Amino acid sequence: MIQGEQYIPRPAYGAQIRKDGDKWTLILVRELRHSPEKVWQALTDPAHLREWAPFDADGNLGTVGSTVKLTTVGAPTPLVSETTVTRADAPNVLEYKWGSFDMRWELEAWAGGTRLTLWTNIGHRFIAMGAAGWHICFDVLDHLLSGTPIGRMVGPAAMKFGGWQRLNAEYAKQFGIESPNWPPQADQKS
Amino acid sequence: MKIKVTSLYVDDQDKALRFYTEVLDFAKKTDFSQGPYRWLTVASAEDPNGVELQLALNSNPAAKAYQHAMFQQNQPAVMFFTEDVKGDYEKVKGRGAEFTMPPTDVTGSTIAMLKDTCGNLVQLTQLAKW
Repeated sequence: MIQGEQYIPRPAYGAQIRKDGDKWTLILVRELRHSPEKVWQALTDPAHLREWAPFDADGNLGTVGSTVKLTTVGAPTPLVSETTVTRADAPNVLEYKWGSFDMRWELEAWAGGTRLTLWTNIGHRFIAMGAAGWHICFDVLDHLLSGTPIGRMVGPAAMKFGGWQRLNAEYAKQFGIESPNWPPQADQKS
Repeated sequence: MKIKVTSLYVDDQDKALRFYTEVLDFAKKTDFSQGPYRWLTVASAEDPNGVELQLALNSNPAAKAYQHAMFQQNQPAVMFFTEDVKGDYEKVKGRGAEFTMPPTDVTGSTIAMLKDTCGNLVQLTQLAKW
């Protein structure tokens, strides 16, 4: 296993934000060197999700209509959101909710690998933080599927990581938004 | 150990933030999010480093049921102390808040009750001077 300290994320890339009424969506595109089938498994199988995703699932997300509990990892008080998978066209499209966020995953075969697109709702104030978090999660996923895992980095582990803080600032700049200061106690303006 | 924060379930955190800051004059203290989780607290503008009130989303069935039942039973979900309950009643009412009880003398205090627009009753209490 590569030590987490040696992992340095590349600069912010492949992200867009979209506004629909007062609802904001973060769109992240990643090109992974793994087949859609392999990526699909990593997105749906709880044992895989536990290695890279910001939530734990108590069941497989790969079947339409199945009800799964998603536990946000590292939330300051426990947050378990029950979700129902609303679309699961393996290995191409997966849709469900994470709390109040719509999650849509699209997997396209690309140059022997997968072009992965995530659409997720997120509060405007926190959209750069979310992009930074997913950026790291996708790197962790890519390493995991390559057989060189660097370990899940979510919640407090991600926020303490200098790479996350840098990405948060970079995405905020790309999106033209002001991201909250970190740590939050420093953000005392109302 | 210290009592530093107490939690209140709300059905909409943005709406709650507006109510508690714009109608009740509290100040936002901490606001951060992780995925669908949002940690949001306010503090009294008169005591910014005092006890914080966490505006927690009622995102689980137990929280929803508890919040709803307390409201139905006319029980305040939270209580704030004031030096001038009648003055605060007029001020807050003037901002459009809906009171379910005007300032009323009870044993040891004068209380008023209002809706917080997020599923709760809030009690304002002024202790009687003996």
